[in-house]
Amino acid sequence: MSGQNIAFLIVLTAALGFFSYNIQRLVSYLRLGKAENRLDHPGRRTWNLITIGFAQTKILRERGAGLSHASVFWGFLVLTAGTAEILLHGVWPAFSYEAILLRPLWQLFMLSQELFAVVVLIAVSWLLWRRLVAPPKRLQGKEIHGAEAVIILCVIASLMLTIYTTGALEYASDPSVRATHFGWFRPISTGLGALLTSVPGRHAAHDVSFWLHALLVLGFLNFLPYSKHLHVVSSLINVWFSNTSGPGQIGVMRAMDLEAEVEQFGATDVDHLSWKNLLDGYSCTECGRCTAACPANITGKPLSPRKIVVDTRRRLMEKAPLLAGELDVPGSAALFLDADGGTAALGNVLLDNYLTEDELWACTSCRACVTECPVSIDQLDIINELRRGLVLNEGRFPEEVQPTFESLETNASPWAFSPADRAQWSEGLNIPTYAEAFADGKRPDILFWVGCMGSFDDRAKKITVAFARILQAANIDFAILGQEETCHGDPARRLGNEYLYQMLAKGTIETLDRYEVKTIVTFCPHCFHQMGNEFPQLGGNYEVIHHSTYIERLMDANLIPLNTEHGKGLTMTYHDSCYLGRYNDVYSAPRETLKRALPVLTFVEPARTESRGLCCGAGGGRMFVDEKVGKRINVERTEELVATGADVIAVACPFCMTMMTDGVAKLEKDVSVMDISEVVAGQLLPSRARELVAGD
Amino acid sequence: MANNILVVAEARGGDVRKVALEVVTAARALADGLGGEVHAIVFGGAGIGSVAPKLGAVGADAVLVVEHDGFATYNAEAVAATVAAQITSGGYRAALFGASAMGQDLAPRIGAKLRVGVAADVVSVTADGTDIVVRHPMNTNKIIATMVLSATPALVSVRPGAVTVGASVKAGVVQSVASAMDPSAGRVTVTGVSMGGGAKLDLAEAPVIVSGGRGLKAAENFSLVEDLAAAFGNAAVGATRAVTDDGWRPHSDQIGQTGRQVSPDLYVAVGISGAIQHIAGMRNSKTIVAINKDKDAPIFKVADYGIVGDAFEIVPALTAAVKAARAQG
Repeated sequence: MSGQNIAFLIVLTAALGFFSYNIQRLVSYLRLGKAENRLDHPGRRTWNLITIGFAQTKILRERGAGLSHASVFWGFLVLTAGTAEILLHGVWPAFSYEAILLRPLWQLFMLSQELFAVVVLIAVSWLLWRRLVAPPKRLQGKEIHGAEAVIILCVIASLMLTIYTTGALEYASDPSVRATHFGWFRPISTGLGALLTSVPGRHAAHDVSFWLHALLVLGFLNFLPYSKHLHVVSSLINVWFSNTSGPGQIGVMRAMDLEAEVEQFGATDVDHLSWKNLLDGYSCTECGRCTAACPANITGKPLSPRKIVVDTRRRLMEKAPLLAGELDVPGSAALFLDADGGTAALGNVLLDNYLTEDELWACTSCRACVTECPVSIDQLDIINELRRGLVLNEGRFPEEVQPTFESLETNASPWAFSPADRAQWSEGLNIPTYAEAFADGKRPDILFWVGCMGSFDDRAKKITVAFARILQAANIDFAILGQEETCHGDPARRLGNEYLYQMLAKGTIETLDRYEVKTIVTFCPHCFHQMGNEFPQLGGNYEVIHHSTYIERLMDANLIPLNTEHGKGLTMTYHDSCYLGRYNDVYSAPRETLKRALPVLTFVEPARTESRGLCCGAGGGRMFVDEKVGKRINVERTEELVATGADVIAVACPFCMTMMTDGVAKLEKDVSVMDISEVVAGQLLPSRARELVAGD
Repeated sequence: MANNILVVAEARGGDVRKVALEVVTAARALADGLGGEVHAIVFGGAGIGSVAPKLGAVGADAVLVVEHDGFATYNAEAVAATVAAQITSGGYRAALFGASAMGQDLAPRIGAKLRVGVAADVVSVTADGTDIVVRHPMNTNKIIATMVLSATPALVSVRPGAVTVGASVKAGVVQSVASAMDPSAGRVTVTGVSMGGGAKLDLAEAPVIVSGGRGLKAAENFSLVEDLAAAFGNAAVGATRAVTDDGWRPHSDQIGQTGRQVSPDLYVAVGISGAIQHIAGMRNSKTIVAINKDKDAPIFKVADYGIVGDAFEIVPALTAAVKAARAQG
């Protein structure tokens, strides 16, 4: 072992030791978060790692930058094998893959190193150009660390270049290896080396190049824990632990035990979040895809989902070292504290000192941020927990929400209408209630859950009647709850009022169980999601079907007597509901329903559609909060839908209906907004429909 | 003596509020039925005794004035202690409050001190022989409970607007009463009062409201609505959420689920389609007139009178008609 090898060994040990120390430190910070089991369903998690992690499926949702990132990532996977060889070689010069691999395999390995380095270089150049010359909007914003990104990209480029220079200088300085170690499988090193065979100082230059490469690798490794590029280490792990693409039903809010003897409900600081929320903070590399997709951000509201995650990390980096007494940790925020030794910083909280109430209330819970995040961060989970903290712990919420909470409490509806008026829409339609059916000794097959909009909003009542007519035309044995229907509490839950939610949900479950309800159909995606996906947390297990899916099934079974021969040649577009689409993956059923009901239809899609669809602005309880800042979300969305040239905007949610109707009125466009059931009901064969509406 | 009624007359800014006059009116009828007197107790800063004639004009036989700088703003502890002491020493049959924010805070405090219940938020209080009978709406006004109060003293809070202020002139003899405790010695200190609204006629108190919606097409067209409100003379201007979110009108003008909930005698909806957001805030209005060009607009479902047509023609005509009618007296 030469002196140079010993020096290398010392450097390597120090670098790996320091890296290991930092990783242990960061892992210990995660323990500040609340415990949560994320080891369930290992198979599903590993599948997520393979698809989202290694195959980069979510990154590739954006073509240009996605392909560049995937190139660098895959390049790194390949080149890491070479890096390992180089580091071992530095300590033990005799080590080489050549010694352990068959020659054709080894040649292939060498070729892969040379070629992938080119791929990475091209990708990095493009990424650098984009950062420095033409940054997209999502790479701007005061919460991001743009300089770090440039440093990292330059280091990566240097790493690639030193692969070639080290190889070329080896070729130039040692003629004995040229025949065996160079050739077609190392085209760039060989070609470059051939030009350098007579350059003076090439021996020393080779050593410099080798050391430079090794030091860059080790430096890069140790820079990671101090930068947003920690995601290189944490994001694959994060993808494995994440639930945003399953396992489990996506979009379900955390269960909460209100009987638990805790001092804190929801979160106001990082230690009230789960360790997984904190790992999300480590995994964010500030790419901004979440913020670019956020309807609140797009329309000028103060919310940026990226900032939610970045601030969570910043606050963790402030608080954790203080609690651990690590005041002298290199690079920790504690170093920059005031003379009071951090007492003031300990008094900070994530809420208020980092994030404001206005940011949290701007969220429509549309899940666009979660859907876009390439490393499966759950921004919405943090927002939901912070909203719970605001409402349950501090009683802070926008004042205009008070009537909604009050009415939910007293009338079991967000709007102060009397329960006695719930079934007014059904007068003369001959629709039984469960109470009536039970009195007759009947057990209806299906509960038609009308929802509060469908019961009280005069526009939505037309959807209610249309869907009831379809059910009657298909001879479905169904009933409604009538005056016994109550809000399930979802608006309260989304607004952070878990207590009110559980009260309403448990009441609803009692009613459903009393009538032995098994199957529920509803046209409200919020009712659909809440009752189908979140009721199981409280012991309510029912098959809940959204009317888009149900109508499609009835059509499949040929049960709906439709006049598909006649009809106007309409151009129609469809607006995706978030709780139907991103929460429940229902995209094709409403489209298929429309196309089958109206064969003469020209169907057009807006620019942002399906999983990329823009929210109407009413989700997450925003229906009950004034929109005081920026452009109105429903107007932004309606403009896009109107731009398709459609005569009709089809929706499958009563909240979207309200928002799109208002958008069209604002734009003063002669475009009608219809629910898919209204489109279908309009095609019911008249004689049969008339007979059924008469009910005898 | 044993059939006298004490009214806590709510004052703000040196004057009695409308609700105080309503409650004195109710108390007068009750006292006449029981054969007793009405004593109104009023708290305020220096000079508050000047309101006595107003209370006398609606039926107060005596006005008990508790004057102290510490009562310039509502002081729950000292007011409750003084009223409770007065009820006990005066041997009153009943004490009446307005079911306003103040009355809803005060009545239960006194109930707790005197160990009696409170009949809260009633719409009428009458004598039936020697009994006191109250009516209280329940379940969003679908049911009215009629209750006979057996406790003495009976504590009753009367819903604002439920009683029409009457004229029954009584002496309103002023007596000065000392506070039962030093108002500044309480556990709560009022450091400031922030009020919503502004100088305009308050939406909650206006007997007539003219509201505009998206159908007005632009902020400047609200002058139509303002002109009509001005013609009524006692009307306030409201707006829908779409309009306030778009910044055509201030958010404080919004009527609906996320704005003000109003129930005026007359509500005129101009260019308002009637989404649930808006209906939730105004459907309890006594008479609703809707003007909209779309005959299928949901607003017509809740309207008593509907005019299908162009608001830009109808509203000026209506304004002229209202002016003409008022000119004739």
